[in-house]
Amino acid sequence: MAKLLTLFQEKTSRYLVNPWIRYGLIVLVLAAVAVFPQIKFAQSAYWVRVIGYTGLYILLGLGLNVVVGFAGLLDLGYVAFYAIGAYTYALLASSFFGNHLSFWVVLPIAGLLAAMAGVLLGIPVLRMRGDYLAIVTLGFGEIIRILVTNLRGLTNGSQGMVDIDSPMLFGLQLKGATHFYYLVFVFVLVTIFVTTRLNHSRIGRAWVALREDEDVAQMMGINTTLTKLMAFGTGALIGGLGGAVFAAWQRSIYPDNFNLYVSINVLSLIIIGGMGSIPGVIVGAFALIALPDLLREFSDYRMLLYGLLLVVMMVARPEGFIPSKRRQLELRSSEPDEDEPPPGSAGDGEVAP
Amino acid sequence: MDFNWVNFVEQLVNGLTVGSFYALIALGYTMVYGVLQMINFAHGEIFMIGAYSGLFTMNRLTDAGLYERSPALVIGLTFLAGIAGAALTGITVERLAYRPLRRAARLAPLISAIGASIFLQELVRLVPKISAAVTGIKIGSWQVFPEAFQTSVNKIFLDFGGAQVKTYPGILPTGGFEIGEITINYSRAIILAVSLLTMIGLYLLVRYSRLGKAMRSVAEDKDIAALMGVDVNRVIMMTFLIGSALAGLAGVLMGMYYLQIRPVMGFVPGIKAFTAAVLGGIGSIPGAMFGGYLLGLAEAIGVQFLPAVYKDVVAFSLLVLTLIFKPTGIFTGYSGQKKM
Repeated sequence: MAKLLTLFQEKTSRYLVNPWIRYGLIVLVLAAVAVFPQIKFAQSAYWVRVIGYTGLYILLGLGLNVVVGFAGLLDLGYVAFYAIGAYTYALLASSFFGNHLSFWVVLPIAGLLAAMAGVLLGIPVLRMRGDYLAIVTLGFGEIIRILVTNLRGLTNGSQGMVDIDSPMLFGLQLKGATHFYYLVFVFVLVTIFVTTRLNHSRIGRAWVALREDEDVAQMMGINTTLTKLMAFGTGALIGGLGGAVFAAWQRSIYPDNFNLYVSINVLSLIIIGGMGSIPGVIVGAFALIALPDLLREFSDYRMLLYGLLLVVMMVARPEGFIPSKRRQLELRSSEPDEDEPPPGSAGDGEVAP
Repeated sequence: MDFNWVNFVEQLVNGLTVGSFYALIALGYTMVYGVLQMINFAHGEIFMIGAYSGLFTMNRLTDAGLYERSPALVIGLTFLAGIAGAALTGITVERLAYRPLRRAARLAPLISAIGASIFLQELVRLVPKISAAVTGIKIGSWQVFPEAFQTSVNKIFLDFGGAQVKTYPGILPTGGFEIGEITINYSRAIILAVSLLTMIGLYLLVRYSRLGKAMRSVAEDKDIAALMGVDVNRVIMMTFLIGSALAGLAGVLMGMYYLQIRPVMGFVPGIKAFTAAVLGGIGSIPGAMFGGYLLGLAEAIGVQFLPAVYKDVVAFSLLVLTLIFKPTGIFTGYSGQKKM
């Protein structure tokens, strides 16, 4: 199975080198996505909603991909930034406090607040190894959820924030699945553009260096502190924007919307798709968010399957289904580490000394 | 309002009881970290499975009428089952999810551990459902299993999980003894005694036995240990086994103390115990014990001044503060000096 996939990739990547085929394909996909809500068929409204929702997860996946995929920092509390974005919009544009700021004004505020939270979270864990980072971010996500549930005066507790304003765009009130389908689509496009450019920029190369070997990166003159904080900040910013869009779409949010499972979902879709790979994020989101809607009778087994998938993927295909070339090489080859015996020596497999 | 000293001291004893749970679970984290330099994310779930295995066995034995005849035997077997269930889960997870990745890039075992944690939690939640689906299997219109078999099997597995809360029978003695004005519950005293004795035993094991020596050498350097004739895989397996067994013990004790168990019960104690391990200095066995009690006390004191819902926030803040100011913890473990 894994071999077949690799073979398929080799064959297809040969065609994808041709710019005509490559850009033609991209234009085709974009056109299909743009036209989709206009096609009427049975249950089309339902599918527009599902795919719009998948788009929201693509957005979150792209954000977390910056942190996990590009910079190699495992963040398990990504939902915190999503929550911060959503509650920022809810506080500034609902009847709860009587603030009715425009969506377009709140959007940058939500993004910036989330980015600030990301940087603040990043500072204490700067010197930590991946494991510590994972557990601290996990704790951070939980703290945010506990705060949101218990700061009743600010967030209305578990009753949630209701009656959130719909965004206005040139006099058009954005409401319902179709509008938000397009809004999310635009967000995803912009985010893909920005993260791709970031990945190929100086900071993107710094992230790769950091991910591969922090000490060497530092020796090469990379400011590791700043580079890590940039990754946290960028990822959190995208998460915050996603949260604001979510709040505007749902028009009511509850602490339960921001539980640990959101973080796990987003992380799983990145890993299934391929860490560091943008097409991977998209494929992963469709596989994990849209597909389970087709198989709703199995929805109870969904998280069980995700857990299993994470283990199986790590053992069998750690680079994901649509890997980024570089990440594949990193994850496949063993990390040269003075703590680890060279392959073939004791401790490897069944052979014991 | 004047300060209530009696209440305060009783809260401290309560903190020590909760601290015992943290310490027992923290030992598993710290031992695994010592030999593999990885955090076993599924450890909280192993603890939870210990609690379920204990309850499952206890109910089966009580159904068989053994409890009236010999309560001590049933309680003993309950502990044994909890410990065995957790230990078995621990070594299975190590074999299937961690060992193939021992040489992989650092992120891989971590993600695999998170996957294992989700999988175990969901598995326990879904056990009754899976059992119903499997026994109710049909080929065409033909029922593979007879109706009576289905109901009896499903009834058995109803105990081993499900989304609902399961209840341990209250077997720890109620009431307590008094020292001056302070009342100490028997249940708390028992838990403290059991966990302290276990931990002393563990400490002696690691300090003086052959296996303990092998564990410390693997923690120091796997290569050299292997060259010296230590079977590294076996030592790692034993580390998982012992750590998980302690978590299983904590699971049964916690079930008996709080009476309620549920599939998500491993999550918060898992993170707290991890905090305790870091607090004490990850990789250090006395550190984990000390960190566990310290965290229990800190929470007990914290809730005197803060609303109880912020208890978890106290623990997390303590974790972050430790990581900023003293990342090696209070004790430096046998692998603590290695990279963080």
